[in-house]
Amino acid sequence: MPPNTHGRLKTGRTILVLAGLLALVAITVLAGNVLREFKSQSSAQSDNLQWGLSQIDVEFLEFNGRLSAQFHPRDIRRRYDVFYSRIATVRQAKVFADLRGSLEFSNHLSEIEAFLDDTVSLIDVSDTALKQNTTQLAALADDIRPVVRMMSNAGLNLFAERADAQRQAVTRTLSQLAFALAALILALGLGVVYLIRLNIQISRRERDQKQTATRINTIMKTALDGIIVFDEAGRITDFNHAAERIFDCKAIDVIGQNMGQVIVPDHLRDAYNAGIKRMRKSGGKQGLGKGRVQLEAKRADGSLFPIELAVQSATTDDEHIFIAFLRDMSKQVADQAELIQARDKAIAGEQSRSKFLTTMSHEIRTPLNGLLGNISLMRETSLNSRQDLLLRNMETSGRLLMSHVTDVLDIARYDRGKVEIQTRPVNVSALLQDIVDNQSGMAAAQNTTLDWGWVGPAQHWINADPDRLQHILMNLIGNAVKFTKQGRVSVSVQWDKGRICLRVEDTGIGISDNLKARIFDDFVTGNTAYDRDVSGTGLGLSIVKRFVTRLGGEVRVQSALGKGSSFIVEFDTTAAEPTDVDAAPPPVPEKPSVPLRVLVVEDNEINRFVVRNMLVADGHDVSEAHNGQLGVQIANEQFFDLILMDISMPVLDGRKATVAIRNGNGRSAKTRIVALTANAMAQEQKDFLAHGMDTVLTKPLTKPALRAILEDVKPVIIQPVTDLIDVTHNLETREVLGAEVYEVLYAKFHSEVTAFSSWIRLDRAFEEIAERGHNIAGSAATFGAVALRVALLKLEKAAKSEDHAAVTVAIDELVSLPSDTLDALAKNTLTAPD
Amino acid sequence: MHFRFSVLATITAVAIACTGPVQAADIPAPKGTVILTVANAQHAANVGDVLQFDRETLAVLGLETIETTTIWTDGKQVFEGVPLAVLVELIGVETGTFFAAAINDYTVEIPVTDAIHNGPIIAISHNGEDMSVRDKGPLWIIYPYDSSSKYRTEVIYSRSIWQLDRIEYVE
Repeated sequence: MPPNTHGRLKTGRTILVLAGLLALVAITVLAGNVLREFKSQSSAQSDNLQWGLSQIDVEFLEFNGRLSAQFHPRDIRRRYDVFYSRIATVRQAKVFADLRGSLEFSNHLSEIEAFLDDTVSLIDVSDTALKQNTTQLAALADDIRPVVRMMSNAGLNLFAERADAQRQAVTRTLSQLAFALAALILALGLGVVYLIRLNIQISRRERDQKQTATRINTIMKTALDGIIVFDEAGRITDFNHAAERIFDCKAIDVIGQNMGQVIVPDHLRDAYNAGIKRMRKSGGKQGLGKGRVQLEAKRADGSLFPIELAVQSATTDDEHIFIAFLRDMSKQVADQAELIQARDKAIAGEQSRSKFLTTMSHEIRTPLNGLLGNISLMRETSLNSRQDLLLRNMETSGRLLMSHVTDVLDIARYDRGKVEIQTRPVNVSALLQDIVDNQSGMAAAQNTTLDWGWVGPAQHWINADPDRLQHILMNLIGNAVKFTKQGRVSVSVQWDKGRICLRVEDTGIGISDNLKARIFDDFVTGNTAYDRDVSGTGLGLSIVKRFVTRLGGEVRVQSALGKGSSFIVEFDTTAAEPTDVDAAPPPVPEKPSVPLRVLVVEDNEINRFVVRNMLVADGHDVSEAHNGQLGVQIANEQFFDLILMDISMPVLDGRKATVAIRNGNGRSAKTRIVALTANAMAQEQKDFLAHGMDTVLTKPLTKPALRAILEDVKPVIIQPVTDLIDVTHNLETREVLGAEVYEVLYAKFHSEVTAFSSWIRLDRAFEEIAERGHNIAGSAATFGAVALRVALLKLEKAAKSEDHAAVTVAIDELVSLPSDTLDALAKNTLTAPD
Repeated sequence: MHFRFSVLATITAVAIACTGPVQAADIPAPKGTVILTVANAQHAANVGDVLQFDRETLAVLGLETIETTTIWTDGKQVFEGVPLAVLVELIGVETGTFFAAAINDYTVEIPVTDAIHNGPIIAISHNGEDMSVRDKGPLWIIYPYDSSSKYRTEVIYSRSIWQLDRIEYVE
């Protein structure tokens, strides 16, 4: 029952009780009145007095009747006395006080008393005298007779009035009593009604409570979760079937026991006790788990197992109780562990698959690059028309294979989450035009027209990832062209306030409904007789789907079998300002005029071969190293204008080799190093740059790309003569000696200088320093190495004079001079005409 | 309490004087004016077949005093008289009725059972004086009205006959 109902009932009850009490008091008072009335009736002796009053008349008549001669004077006297006594009584008796209060009655009484006073002297005489007085007495009695009558009448009237008043009072009191009784009866009646209602309510509540109890019992019994009810002290008051099952014990054994001892494992006991303490302190508001918590619990046999526990508190009339809901999580935990294991396995499997795909595609691409490079080289030789055709076929097959491998690699990368979106301004119109141009040959070959155009106003520049967008459109348009013969492929593009819609429609073979549902899945290819002509990995559309999703857009297909298909790509983007970067692609550089010294570090022999041939064909001087370690060695020994560095190599990979060159302080430490890789991902490119490379060249290597790189490289400008060498003198020496002799002598000089520069130290004997310095100074003069000669002579002089400080200075000057001189001489020789 | 002793004393005195219980023969015929005649007084008759008393012989039966208010008087009154119980004992009855009559022949019925100790008396004096007929004498049956409410009823008031001069016993 809600408290307000309770309160209302209480108020009602109080009012009823008060009303009843009031009625009871009223009845008591009235009953008292009535009793008093009756008592006064019974003790007022009105009858007796009335009789006594009327008796005055009678007695007077008796007396009067005897006032004649025939009566004995004694008799007269007695009657007189009786009458006298009556009047005396009326005068004295308190019961006549009311009557005496009446003026009329009182007057009459006084008159009668006057008569008695007058007559007493006539009575109290001898019999004889009395006899003689009789006549006189009779006369007096006759006079007083009407007064006696009037007095008794007046008295009777008064009595009658008084009786009337009394009756009225009684009637009134009785009426009041009746009223009070009625009120009491009403109150009692209401009380009865109230009690009946209360009874109904109580029995209903009892029934409800019984039902609730039964329901709760049933719920507790049938609940699959264990339910344990305990009080603030932690004593168990209820323990349901499920709990019995879970803890493998009987409710009767644990009820009344402490929760902590029954289900809490020993190592959690302290934490549990602290929780209970906190709970008690806070009146049950704290110390409860927040929602469901996973804990360990203890079975009757002491074994531990995981449970999920939620504790709720409730307040009954006089105490806090706590209801714990528990679930045996053993199976779930085991299942979860199994699931986690399965997931880990799956992830590992996925990773290894992805890794496998990446590796495989890389392993396929490397030889394929070689193949394509060789074909490209072969095309530069003189070929007859048949060879040219065969070569073209080979190249087509090779490029197709390359695109398949790239597809697989893209999928693998996407699934590894390694596809990064780089948003920048893209000219959609230019992009579409390029693709259409690219595909128009293929379309023309199938007698298909290929066109594109804007629907509505054109928005040429948008912000998007040009590479992904190109990939998407290339795949869709390529597919459309592939599957359309003697028909039409039209591409439309529409800009609508921040959303671009690209639609590729064809009149090709169309897609069956069955196929449509999984057209964007991996490795899905059509299966009609018609498309046997058409090859594909079935990854094109799944790549489209992935990239479109990555762009935050969606792709869908509409198609009717035999009539054609439409692929629609939509994604949100923003309009962009035109930029010049992409506007005009740089022209393919021409063969450079300046020959460069290039070091190619590449483990694959064929690739090395291709690169070397491309460079040599352009007139460059090429050195080779077939692993990173050798590359470092050569780069330290010689000066190069450019180093092309493969990334994956045995012994030492491209990154480490680059770091070694940069830190080695060798002759090519500052040379431009270009990474040569098939891994064209932005993240990796950054990584290469971080390792000290200057730029990245993506395989397969093309001549234009290579030339563009070489364009940027400026050959090292030869030092001015006055500084290091006398160029003219050097060239003259060479001319005089002849190139071969010069080279032999130069090699000797080179080794002398190198040996000296690594030998010279302050702690060498001054005599020996002077001697070797002198010798090399002579050779330096021959080769025109003027700066070196001057420095060596200075050293010789200092050593001879044993000037320690001067020797120190001279040696310091010789730290980089020998190698600089050799570089200058080597460069000078290069520019020399043979 | 006081008057009870005096009653006992009186009775004892009489008993000692007559060497035996009060008997009919013990009540002498009245020498003075007869103030009470008891008719059908059984063996207690002393004059013919009635028992007669004058003031003296009545007083010999032993007097008791009642102090009470009455409805016929004003204020506390002192009455002295012979307990009715003594008369009942004298005539040796236990049941029956007295017909008490006044000078003016007014008659009331008094059951013998009224005659108990500390019950009604046949008063012979009022406030220490003998009562004349004018003062409701010579005898007046007085109940101790103040002692109990059962003596303040209409019936008892009607039995309180004054100017009494005859009593007849009827079985």
